[in-house]
Amino acid sequence: MGDPSLQPAGIDGSLLPGPFGVGHYAAKLRDYLRQRSRVQLFGEVWNVRVSRVKVYFELRDADGALPCSMWRNDFDALRLGERALADGSQVVVGGGLDYYVGSRTSSPAFSFAVTKLREQVALARDAQLDRLRKTLDAEGLFAPQKALARAALPRTIGVVTGEGGKARDDVLAGLRRRGWAGRIVWAFAPVQDRHAAPRITAALQDLAATGAVDVIVVARGGGSLADLFCFCDETLCRTVALLNVPVIASVGHHTDRTLIDDVAALSCSTPTHAAESAVPVHCTEGRAEIMQVARRLSVHGDRVLLARPAIVASARRLSVHGRRALLHRAQVLARLSRAPGEHVARERRRLHQGLREMRASGRRRVLDERARIARRALVLDRKAQAAALDARRATGLQAFAMALAAHDPERTLERGYALVTDRAGEVVTSAAGARAASELSLRFGDAAVDATVCDGDERA
Amino acid sequence: MAMSEPEQPLTYEHASARLEAIIKRLDSGEAGLRETLELCREGRTLVELCAAELEAVGQGLEELRLDDLVTRLEAGAGS
Repeated sequence: MGDPSLQPAGIDGSLLPGPFGVGHYAAKLRDYLRQRSRVQLFGEVWNVRVSRVKVYFELRDADGALPCSMWRNDFDALRLGERALADGSQVVVGGGLDYYVGSRTSSPAFSFAVTKLREQVALARDAQLDRLRKTLDAEGLFAPQKALARAALPRTIGVVTGEGGKARDDVLAGLRRRGWAGRIVWAFAPVQDRHAAPRITAALQDLAATGAVDVIVVARGGGSLADLFCFCDETLCRTVALLNVPVIASVGHHTDRTLIDDVAALSCSTPTHAAESAVPVHCTEGRAEIMQVARRLSVHGDRVLLARPAIVASARRLSVHGRRALLHRAQVLARLSRAPGEHVARERRRLHQGLREMRASGRRRVLDERARIARRALVLDRKAQAAALDARRATGLQAFAMALAAHDPERTLERGYALVTDRAGEVVTSAAGARAASELSLRFGDAAVDATVCDGDERA
Repeated sequence: MAMSEPEQPLTYEHASARLEAIIKRLDSGEAGLRETLELCREGRTLVELCAAELEAVGQGLEELRLDDLVTRLEAGAGS
């Protein structure tokens, strides 16, 4: 209650009890709140702050919100991971009211003291999204938009967004930042209720059907994941994927990832960034660069013009050189024309010299040939002598052969004589020999016959 | 007989890329007199094209609703 001597007087005329010390009252309030029934609440988690000893967040739904706190030890014991308390997570919490009374140096704070926490909706929703994401990916619907060519300097930009949303201003701010001031076509559509997805789909189809927009931006500011769920609609995503105009998506915060981010040509974290991405060329800088390029081209063009005097000078120098060459040629011709006689005499001397050399060469050649022929005649003569000697020798040999033939017994037998031999083949040259042999062989020119010697018929 | 591909209109990005190549070639000092003249002539044409494209998105922001655009397109098609 505090020192009673320091208690000030109450407000004149007030029937309220007190005044009491605020700390005392705060403590009573804390005790009162702590006595309230402990309950379970559900909603979306937002603005999570983690300190060394406590985790703070807000639990929200469409009708209201409540600041919550949880001892860090209790939260860690749940082993949910950081994902459980990401903005937009759907949770059920259990606990009761609490009040931090504060002090002279610290602020009081009211909170719902959470002792139990369970994530529920997000898991089921994430599982559904994952299935659809995998289906679209498997069908190749993430690729077509990314293959479309995006104009560096679009003239007309279509924007699908909520009519009263902040995203509209952000898109305009982004385009202004780019220095872009072309034509923007707004296709307003609800961006968070159950009618949103079909309306957004129709707006995209209508914009593309005009054939007048170069790129389409789909923009929506932050919100709970439930609010952004329309951008995960299957029909919407399939429509975007097959659109022939590039779509740049900017839905929610950078932590949110809807399916339109996957199928779009480009996904940006904010509408401002999406607008800037729709115009890759910074127009203000582009104008300066074009001016710079024009100046540089002008400089190069001027250099060509500056080169003209140099070319004229070169032409003059070439002309001078040409005249010098002509003069030199004329001098040479004049020199030649002045000395034709010398030239003829020089040629005559050269020809005479050649003639003398030819004659001397001819003589040398005749002498050489004569000596060579004499040597060849000598050789032939010696060969003829040798051949005559050989002929004489051949004649002598022939005579010898004839003499030998004349003494050949075979020739004698051919003339009618007979050769008498005994049985042993020894020649019998006398009658006594024949008688002694008794049995003889008479060999005539054509054949031999055997003969027997009869003693009574001796003829002396 | 094979049909030839229709010539695509020159875009800002192609024109600016070509300009960059032209400037690079001119700055190299390797281009002869005739080539320099031709590059300067081509470059001036491209500069005019880029400037016209930038001019088209620099006149002032024009905001239309989709319905207005459709009406305008239909009127243009009907006339």
